[in-house]
Amino acid sequence: MLLVQLIVSGLQTGLLYAVTAAGFAMIFGATRIFHVAHGAVFALAGYVFLSAYTAGFGWTGGALAATVIAVAFGAGMERFVYRPIQRHEASFFTVFVASFGVSIIIQSLIEMIFGRGFVTLTTPLAQARPMFGGIYIAPMFWIVLVVTLVVFAVLWAFLRFTRTGIGLRALSESPELLRAYGLSAQRLSALVFAIGSVLCVPAAILKMAITGMQPSVNSHVMLISLASTIVGGVGSITGAALGGLLLGIAENVSITLLDSQWSEAASFIVLFAFILLRPRGLFGYAVTR
Amino acid sequence: MISRRKVMLGTAAALAAPQLMRVASAQDAPYIVGTLFPMAGPNAEYGEIFMAGATLGVDYVTKSKVLKRPIELRSVDSLSTPQGGAVGMSRLVNVDRADYVLLAFTGVCKAAAPIGGRAKTIMCNPGSVAPDLSGLSPYFWNMIPLVTKELDPLLTWMMSKSLKRVSAIYVDDPFGNGVMTALKPALAKAGGQMISTYPITPTEQVFTALAAKIRAENPDAVYFLSAGAQQVELVKQLRNNGITQQLVSAVGVNIPSILNLPEAKGLVFTDQATNWNSTDPLMKTFVENYRAKYNKDPMPYHLNFFNAIVLFGILASTLEKQGKPVNGDNLREQLLAQRKFALAGGTGEFDDVCDISLPVAVDEVTGDGKFKQIG
Repeated sequence: MLLVQLIVSGLQTGLLYAVTAAGFAMIFGATRIFHVAHGAVFALAGYVFLSAYTAGFGWTGGALAATVIAVAFGAGMERFVYRPIQRHEASFFTVFVASFGVSIIIQSLIEMIFGRGFVTLTTPLAQARPMFGGIYIAPMFWIVLVVTLVVFAVLWAFLRFTRTGIGLRALSESPELLRAYGLSAQRLSALVFAIGSVLCVPAAILKMAITGMQPSVNSHVMLISLASTIVGGVGSITGAALGGLLLGIAENVSITLLDSQWSEAASFIVLFAFILLRPRGLFGYAVTR
Repeated sequence: MISRRKVMLGTAAALAAPQLMRVASAQDAPYIVGTLFPMAGPNAEYGEIFMAGATLGVDYVTKSKVLKRPIELRSVDSLSTPQGGAVGMSRLVNVDRADYVLLAFTGVCKAAAPIGGRAKTIMCNPGSVAPDLSGLSPYFWNMIPLVTKELDPLLTWMMSKSLKRVSAIYVDDPFGNGVMTALKPALAKAGGQMISTYPITPTEQVFTALAAKIRAENPDAVYFLSAGAQQVELVKQLRNNGITQQLVSAVGVNIPSILNLPEAKGLVFTDQATNWNSTDPLMKTFVENYRAKYNKDPMPYHLNFFNAIVLFGILASTLEKQGKPVNGDNLREQLLAQRKFALAGGTGEFDDVCDISLPVAVDEVTGDGKFKQIG
């Protein structure tokens, strides 16, 4: 019974990791930019949501405000940070440092505006109740499940059936070819940052209600997103999502085998196992040089 | 006509002038009080609280004019890590030449103590309660009752409520390990039983699995030890995942994030006894100054850091009157000579290893941002 309970808890954690990691994987897959500030978008979305919610705008108003800020931040990063760097130098390290710097600035700004303490949204939806056979499940679990499924369904349909979506998938392969089809690589690049950032919004809101948040949450989000992307296979959104799910479950279930302080490390044990045994990840493809 | 004597005198005066000026400026130079607090990251909330208390202390000592020289605070971010503590302490003693350093967090204290000890700089800890901070260095003072002094009242209260089977969650660092070493035998001696212990890493954020395991064990109480944002996440997730048992902890939970958390209502913790309505003039001044500046009631941490500066004021003023230099050796000698000090909130008494004793209370979080004394 304990194992079932841990799998349920792991699913909830993993679904949130999945949707966040999918955003990072999407950006990295399309642009090959190591967007470390993805964690900062997550924190920003969470704090903006909470401010709007406590100001009386409710869940919808809060989510809308968080989405607007996430889109603006994501697209702004592409336009004002990455694009100028790529125009001049475009080295991986420069982009990484710039992104890391922005991430720290955002964390400091959040600390300055919202304080350095822990914030949370208290809702009865996050309180678990005994259900089938003594398994404790919170209403929030079902919300996480439905929201994640809807987000992935919409994302899949967008990437599969729309001209822009297909363009986004082609962006990493051949930006020149895109031009031949009348699509702008720059515009698509900005769009992928906006969409990738929006994917943080539901996860940030749900995390705010389930566990709460602190300004330094960005580093953990970034680590998990990166680990999920590697486990899932670099460039694969489906892979990153499944990777996130796997890491969430591993984190929770590991407590049955290992000491409790290993639960966070469990994610990275999975990551190392993949790097050693299946470096291309779940859905990545092997590359020969 | 310029004689040889005049030339010699002029040269001597020119050579002596900078030296004399240096002596004169040293006499006017402020006392440097270093602060080694976490100012960023998950424990930054503590840094803000500590700094507010220390700043009030400096304001008070400055206004009371007990010292011939002013006091100046120099702040370094400890990051609440041993590395941050070592780097910060080195800077404070070697670059800022601090006369007195306020610090907290067990890992930080342990890393900083040898550095401060070598420089013979007094390090005063008004914020961490791990038992192994006792006697860390001859120059290391504990200005807060260590957890060994908190355990007896807590365990007495727990046994009176028949909370005998205890599960413990503790952060796997010097603080958590130190407290657990003291808790296990103390609990057994009090008639209780530690049924399970769960070490967690300082960065861990998801505790749903832990809640599931503890729920299956059905203890009478869950004792937890962590710091900052992590303990808030812990309480929220334990409560939201079906842990209805009594939660108990130590002084570290007395921060706004916990006191304002609805899930923390009913949480019991130990802390030094405080009475904000006391008529003691120093306490009254402290509370009034705090309320005037922040428009709310202070917390015990504010009081401790305020008192740490007041203590420095008392000791340095005595040394000034005796014509002795204010340095680590003399401050320590004076502390051990005097032992008892009239501080805000009561008399603090230091033992041979410079650990303070103050009355300890058992408090309960009331759920409206406050707590009440229950034992």
